[in-house]
Amino acid sequence: MNAIEVLSLTKRFQRKDDGKKRPFAAVDSIDLAVEEGELFGLLGPNGAGKTTLIKMLCTLILPDEGRALVNGFDIVKEAEKVRASIGWLHGETGGRALYWRLSARDNLRFYASLQNVPPDFAEKRIDALLDFFDMTEEASTLVKDFSTGMKVKVMLARTLLPNPPILMMDEPTVGLDAATAVETRKLLKALSTDLGRTILFTSHNMFEVERLCTRIAIMNSGKIVAIDTPLRLSEITKEIKAVEVRISEIADAKILDLFQGFEGVQKVVKTEIGEDYSLIQVQVEDEQKAIATLPEFLQEKGLNVISIQRALPTLEDVYMKLTRKST
Amino acid sequence: MSVSSLLGLFREEAPRLKSTFRQIYAVVWANLMIFFSYKYSVITDLLSMAASIFMYFFMGLQVDPTQLSSRGYGQSYIAFALVGVATSQYLWICLSRLSHIIQHDIRGGTLETVAVTQIKMGVYFIGQTIRGYLISLISLFGTFAVGLFALGVTLQINVYTIATTVTTFLLMIVANQAIGFMTAGIVMVYKRGDPITFILAGLNEFLSGVLYPLELLQQFPIVYWMARMFPYTYALDAMRKSLIGGATILSPDVYFDLTMLIIFSVVLLPIGLKVLQRGYNVIRKNGTMATY
Amino acid sequence: MKTPELINFLKEVPVSGREASVLEKVYAFVVRDFRTWWTYKLWVSIDILGTLMFVVSYYFISKIVTTTSLEAAGYGTDYLTFAVIGVAFQQYVFSSVSTLSESIRGEQWDGTMETILSSKTGFRTFLLGESVFRFIMGSYFLVTALLVGEAIGVKITTNLGSILSAAVMTILLITSHMIVGILSAALILKVKEGDPIVWSFSWLTQLFSGVLYPLNLLPSQISWIGAIFPLTYSLDGIRRCLTVEATIFSPMVAEDIVKLAIFIVVSLPIALKAFKAAYDSTRIDGSLGQY
Repeated sequence: MNAIEVLSLTKRFQRKDDGKKRPFAAVDSIDLAVEEGELFGLLGPNGAGKTTLIKMLCTLILPDEGRALVNGFDIVKEAEKVRASIGWLHGETGGRALYWRLSARDNLRFYASLQNVPPDFAEKRIDALLDFFDMTEEASTLVKDFSTGMKVKVMLARTLLPNPPILMMDEPTVGLDAATAVETRKLLKALSTDLGRTILFTSHNMFEVERLCTRIAIMNSGKIVAIDTPLRLSEITKEIKAVEVRISEIADAKILDLFQGFEGVQKVVKTEIGEDYSLIQVQVEDEQKAIATLPEFLQEKGLNVISIQRALPTLEDVYMKLTRKST
Repeated sequence: MSVSSLLGLFREEAPRLKSTFRQIYAVVWANLMIFFSYKYSVITDLLSMAASIFMYFFMGLQVDPTQLSSRGYGQSYIAFALVGVATSQYLWICLSRLSHIIQHDIRGGTLETVAVTQIKMGVYFIGQTIRGYLISLISLFGTFAVGLFALGVTLQINVYTIATTVTTFLLMIVANQAIGFMTAGIVMVYKRGDPITFILAGLNEFLSGVLYPLELLQQFPIVYWMARMFPYTYALDAMRKSLIGGATILSPDVYFDLTMLIIFSVVLLPIGLKVLQRGYNVIRKNGTMATY
Repeated sequence: MKTPELINFLKEVPVSGREASVLEKVYAFVVRDFRTWWTYKLWVSIDILGTLMFVVSYYFISKIVTTTSLEAAGYGTDYLTFAVIGVAFQQYVFSSVSTLSESIRGEQWDGTMETILSSKTGFRTFLLGESVFRFIMGSYFLVTALLVGEAIGVKITTNLGSILSAAVMTILLITSHMIVGILSAALILKVKEGDPIVWSFSWLTQLFSGVLYPLNLLPSQISWIGAIFPLTYSLDGIRRCLTVEATIFSPMVAEDIVKLAIFIVVSLPIALKAFKAAYDSTRIDGSLGQY
C-alpha cells in the first residue's frame, strides 16, 4: 500500500509581479506515490514548492485541485485522521516553533498531550529521546537558553514522540553538530528499514539524501521534474561515458599524458589530488572496455591502480542539471 | 541511548488517549507556566493594579459625592471606580486575548505546530481563553482586596448580591468573548489585529462608564446610544447596582441589564464562533497560517 | 552576477573614507524608524483615536470633580485642564521611555543589536538613535492631545513667554526621562526580560507626581515620595506656565528648573556608566546576542 498518494495536487497563490497581483502555481498538478516504509527525499531549489506540498499533506494548507491520501486518509475530508498518522518537523530553522518559556521536557509533555500520548508512555519516550539527543541534563532548562542546535534536537524529539507511521521532515539535520547528524540519519534509516516507518523529507544536503533515500523526487517551479532512485537519476542524466581511476601516485603532467595516450580515452575530464592518491576521471568511448583494459596498461607503465569504476554524476550534478533545465 | 534501544521503545505501540479535557488542561497549564516564568511581570502587574486603585482613591477625593448619589451609585467614588477598574480588565481579556495569542503563535511558528496535532483548534482556543481568565482572577481579586482592606471601601456583600454579581460577570464574559472570537477570526486572516481590538476595547471602556456615570453621556445622545450597544455597559451597571446599591436579580434595573446580556450572548456567540471557524478555514485555504 | 564579477566588484576600494558623524547616524536611525512606523499606517490612526478617547474621558470626569484642592494648590484652573496636562505629559514620557526599552528588547530578539554594535557605531550613538524617533512621535501625540483638549474646553494660555517657558520645562522633562530610559535599557541588556524599571516608574509617577490630583491630597507620610521623580517638578512647572501664565523667571517655576537640572546633572553620568557596565558585562559573558 502507498503511505502517501498524491493525485494532480495543485495549490495557487497570488504574488505581485510588476505591481499587479498574478496567480502562480506553487504546486502544479503533482502526482506522487510513496510506498510504506520508504525513505523518500524531496529536493528542489528555494521556492520550488516542497514546503507547500508538505504542508498540504500535513493538512495545514487546503489544496485548490486534486487530492492526496496520507495513510489512506483524504487530506481534506479526513484531516483529523491524517494528523493522527503523521509527525511533522517544522522547517523553521532556529527552533522558533517551540515555547521558549517552557523547558525542553515541558515542551515535549505539552505536545504529547495534544497528540493523545498517554502520560506514562509519554514520560518514557521523552526520557529516551532526550537521552538519545544527549539532552538529559538540559531537560529542565528553558528553551530560550538553548543554542540553535539544541532547539533543533528538541524539535526532532517532539516529531518522533508520538511514534507516528509517517514522518514529514523539513531539513531534519540542519543546525545539528556532525555527531548528532550522523546518529539522526542512522535513526531515520532504522525507523524506515526496521520499523517500516515512511519518511518524507526535504534536504539541501545531497550527500545525506543520496545515502539515505530509496527514491528521490526533484521539484522545480511547482512540478516534479524527476523521480527515481539516486542511481537511476544519475544514469538518466549522464551525458558522457567516463571512468574514474584511483592511483596511489600524485598525478602530474607526465601521468596525465599517459592516460591521454591510451586508446579509447578521449580526454581527461577532471583530476582530484589527495594526500596519497589521485583520482582521475577520463572520458572514454566504451566504459566496459576501459574498465577491463586501462588498469593493466597503467600498471605496465609502473602506476599502482587502487580502483576503477564508471563515473556517474553526483546527485548534486543531477540536481543542478535538472533544475537549471526546467526553469 | 543507542538507535537500537530507541527503536525497541518505538516498537511498543501506545494506545491513543483521546481526552478533550486533558488537552485543554495541557494548553492552560503550559500557558500558565509561561506566564509565571516572567517573574518580574507578575509582580509589576500586581503592583500596577494596586497603584491604580490608590490613584483613583486620591482622585476620588476631588469628586462631588452628590454627583454619584443622585444617580444611585452611593457616595463613594472609589467604590464606583473599583467595580469598573476591577472588571474592565476582563473586558480586555475577552476582546483581545485570543487575537493577541493567535498573532503571537503565528509569529512564533507554534500555531502550525499545534494545528498538525490531534487537538481540535476550537479546543485549543478555548484552552487559551481559559488561561486568560484564570490569570486575570488574580488581578480581579487583588483589586477588590486592595479596595476593601487597604482603602476601607464599603460594598454590599451578601449571598444575593454576590450571586447577582457573579451571574452578571459570567454573562458579561460570554457576550464579550463572542466579540473576541469575531476579532480573532478577522485577525487570523488579515494579520493586523491590534488596531481592531484596541478600538473595540478602548471604545468599550471609554463609553461604558468605567470612571464616570454613564448618564453624563446623555448630553451627547449619539454617544450615549453607542454606549448602549456594548454588553459591558449593562454588566457594569448591574454589578454596581448590586455591589453598591444592594440590588439583586429580582430588581427591575438589574433584571433589565441581565436580559440585555442574555440577548447579546445568544445572538453574538454563534456568530463569533462562526467567524472564528471561517477565519481558520480561510488561512488554511490561502496557505497563510505561518505568514504575518 | 557571477562569482568572478562579484569578486572584482569587491576588490574596488571604497571611494570615501570619511566616517559618518553622530548626527548622520542618528538621522539614519530616525529614517529607519519612520519607515517602519509608516508601514503601520492604520496604527497611527488608531493611536490618534486612542488619544482622543482619553482626553474626552477626562472631560466627563471633570463634570463630577470639584476644584477646591486645585485652588488650594495654586493651580487656578479647572480639573479638565489640570488632568489633560498631567496625563498628556505623563503619557508622553512614559510612552517614549517604554517604547525605547521595547525597541531594545526587539533588537535583542531580532539579532540586530549585535549587528549594530559590531559596526562603527558606539553604544551612546545607539542609545541616542533608538530614542530620538520615539520622542518625536511622543511629541506628535502630546500636541494632538493638547489640541483636542483645547477643542473641548481645556484652557491653555496663549502668552508666548509662558509657552516658551513650558517648552523649556518639556525639554528638561524629556532629558530627565531619557535617563530613566537608559537605566532601563541597561537592565534589559543584562537581564533580557521585560522592563520593571519603566513599569514601576509608570505607576509610581501616576501615584506620586500629581498627574491626576494635586499633591496636597496625599497624606503627608507619603507625599514626599513625589520629590524623587522629575515628573513632579516638570508637571508643576508646565502647569503653572500653561494655566497661570508663569514663566521660567517665576520663583516656583525657577525652583522646579533648578531641581530638574540637579537631577539631570547627577543622574545622567550614572545612567551612562550603568549602561556601559551592562554592555561591557554582556560582552565579557558573551550574552550580548542572547535574548
